[in-house]
Amino acid sequence: MFGKFLKELWHYIDVTICNIKMALMMIIEYPANLAGWMISNPIQFILGFATIKFVVEQFGEINGWNYGQLAFLYGLSVISHALSMIFFVQGWFMGWFVIEGDFDRYLTRPLGVMYQFFFTNINIFGITDLIPGICVFIYGCVKSGFEWSILKAIAIIVMLIGATLIRGGIYIMLGTTSFFTKSPMDFGQYTQEIVDKTTMYPISMYPESMQFVLTYLIPIGWVSFYPVSGLLGIGDSSYFGTSAAFMTLLVGLIVMLVAGAFFRLGLKGYESAGN
Amino acid sequence: MNKKMIEVKNLCKDYHIVKKEEGLKGAVKGLFKSEKKTIEAVRHLDFTVDKGEIVGFIGPNGAGKSTTIKMMSGILTPSSGEILINGVDITKHRKEVVQNIGVVFGQRTQLNWDLRLGESFELLRHIYQIDRNEYEETLDVMDEILDIRKIIDKPVRQMSLGQRVKGDLVAAMLHSPDVLFLDEPTIGLDVSSKYALRKFIKEINKVKQTTVILTTHDLGDIEELCERLIIINHGKMMEDGNLVDIVDRIAPYKTLVVQYYDHENIPVHHSCEMIKTEGNMAWYRFMKADITAAALISELSEKKKILDVSIEEAGIDDIIRIAYGQ
Amino acid sequence: MKLKGLSKYLYVYKTQIIRCFTYKFEVYGNILMQSIIMITSAFFWRALYRTGNPVAGVDVEGMLTYIIISAMMSVLLITNVERRIENSVQKGTIAMDMMKPLNIFGIYLVEDLGSITALVFQNLLPIFLVGSLLVKVPTICSTEHIPLFAISMLMSFFINWLIAALFGMWSFTAVNVDALIQVKKHLIRLLSGSIIPMWFFPDWFRNILEALPFVYIYQLPLDIYIGKSSGDELAGMMMIQFVWLIILLIAFAYVARRATKKVLVQGG
Repeated sequence: MFGKFLKELWHYIDVTICNIKMALMMIIEYPANLAGWMISNPIQFILGFATIKFVVEQFGEINGWNYGQLAFLYGLSVISHALSMIFFVQGWFMGWFVIEGDFDRYLTRPLGVMYQFFFTNINIFGITDLIPGICVFIYGCVKSGFEWSILKAIAIIVMLIGATLIRGGIYIMLGTTSFFTKSPMDFGQYTQEIVDKTTMYPISMYPESMQFVLTYLIPIGWVSFYPVSGLLGIGDSSYFGTSAAFMTLLVGLIVMLVAGAFFRLGLKGYESAGN
Repeated sequence: MNKKMIEVKNLCKDYHIVKKEEGLKGAVKGLFKSEKKTIEAVRHLDFTVDKGEIVGFIGPNGAGKSTTIKMMSGILTPSSGEILINGVDITKHRKEVVQNIGVVFGQRTQLNWDLRLGESFELLRHIYQIDRNEYEETLDVMDEILDIRKIIDKPVRQMSLGQRVKGDLVAAMLHSPDVLFLDEPTIGLDVSSKYALRKFIKEINKVKQTTVILTTHDLGDIEELCERLIIINHGKMMEDGNLVDIVDRIAPYKTLVVQYYDHENIPVHHSCEMIKTEGNMAWYRFMKADITAAALISELSEKKKILDVSIEEAGIDDIIRIAYGQ
Repeated sequence: MKLKGLSKYLYVYKTQIIRCFTYKFEVYGNILMQSIIMITSAFFWRALYRTGNPVAGVDVEGMLTYIIISAMMSVLLITNVERRIENSVQKGTIAMDMMKPLNIFGIYLVEDLGSITALVFQNLLPIFLVGSLLVKVPTICSTEHIPLFAISMLMSFFINWLIAALFGMWSFTAVNVDALIQVKKHLIRLLSGSIIPMWFFPDWFRNILEALPFVYIYQLPLDIYIGKSSGDELAGMMMIQFVWLIILLIAFAYVARRATKKVLVQGG
């Protein structure tokens, strides 16, 4: 039983490596594309970060978060955004795949459909988001006087995995609606706008009802706010301490499981194209 | 040995579509209220296909051929009924079953558009877990029939349609599946590509005992490839059987074309029907059961001197036309 | 039936409106998402303004009006021209399109206007209703500003459309423009005042922005609406807006002519 599982796992890893190789070859095929994203994505986040700086200069601390701590929060949020862009951005375009019948190919291959959907279209360009994220994060570490330890480093990695899964799960759920609506609606722009406002600023600034929604219903609060509060020890939510990062992973796994079940349900109603 | 490869039992598929009304008024109305309509694309299909058979699915557009083939290859979930491939239910065990099938859709490709053909094969090699020796061997076989190695280093976007379809066929056969599904494989191809493709299908059927299911509108495909035809219309099975048997049943007649020396007093015959005359030519349609061609010729030649004769079988196009018209 | 020039454009316009009404789900999805965004923004600014003091001369009420009107304006500033040009060039139909009796850019403009007309009913009015009910009624600062706002908004629409068209025409140089269109989107999103008004920015940064066309897309009409600027300052800003409109119009005419020539000489 376990041996079979390992074999299966190896199969997926093997195909993933092959997919990444192909994605890299595509970049070499179209270098101008990479150059474009190299400019466009950093611009977005550097401007976004500058905006935070200006807002803090005008309004002072935001709910007890100073500028350095906000930079820390923003940096980690952009990094998990970048990771979700690399692995899960296809979720934004799921509607087009449904309308054009592009799931046909995945269904005729002996691998999980959701796995194929995301990993045969792996978006290496997402790395261009990663760079500004890491820069701002390092800056935030310095500004907020973050003291590193091995536990904290592990917590940050765990939290980033969890945050990526939460974001990915949300993209999958939104994308899956197109199996039912048969419409190519692209939620990317909107999702990004909402998630930006709720992961790059502390959610403690919002009214309690909204905090409740962001904690329990659409758990965006766990993407950055709760784990970072824990790590930096800010506000009421800091009593979680470093363990909040592990909660993020747990939440991420739950969101992914729910998203996966919803996707399966949607796929059952898949009607291919041209009928 | 007649091993059952595919068993289809009481297969049905319904689509639910939203009716759209015309014009601006209809579009605005649609925002608030919409009517659902159910389309029965496939109704109660039952058939089995044995190992090594080549079966042609034919029928007019929208008859339900593609829907059926998509259900058999695991793409669509049946509304009711059962499909067993090699004894295993494809709806319930998709991943297991698809390891054993290959699929080619004429209008779309599973190849990576931007990279050389070989990269797409390499990915499939990993997906289907084919070891390298086996892969090279299969490729050698494919190369003999399709000259695939000549184009393996070419980026897919630079290929002609014929080359691309060859690539897709090889891609579908890399893992040596027992069943190959082809949805209009020859659509839009030139004569020589069609020829190569048909040769390939016949060859793998012979060498590897691959069961082939294809939909087509091309009479040449049917004539050259299909021993057995399944004719579908309005989602229902119209005919299922050997090509020759279907012809005998639907169009059990031949046409005798007679050329006389002149056009005067062209004779008729009591056991056949003269369907037209043109100058010194006459067309007689006769039932095979009523009279033999030899008898008809000799009896006619007694009435008027004959210059030349030829016999026309009922064409496949006639068969199809009649079958569709039912 | 032979249609005269104008009625052909009208036909394109009407077709586009119908097309926009086909996807029912998109309409409701858009309203829902935009409402969520607007309410989140309202909470965001209320939280920042907790002390109740005006910041940079604007109080919380002004700020809330600002975000509702900004959301409504964003509906009027949706363009598809850049994608249309890109698709036409990539699919190689551009030469054929250009030889049609109607001006290709005229068609794209009319299509965008058609989409916007549909969106006024599908998005703009719902946003207004949701904003008024759940945030506040976004009243204009004074009735005298209504004509000024309308003029400025009209110019802002064309500035925005011309920038989009110019970015779209990058595709004639055979570069993949997906990333460039993204650059444009982010520049407008962050430098036009659509999300964060530029009065929160430091002076040096604001001076740079005032020299660029982006602030004349969102910021200026919004300033007029909430009464942030008036008198000579306003007149000066509107003059610069007008100058940008003329510059972009000339640039557009020049690039469009060169692109047309290039396409027609090469024959696609």
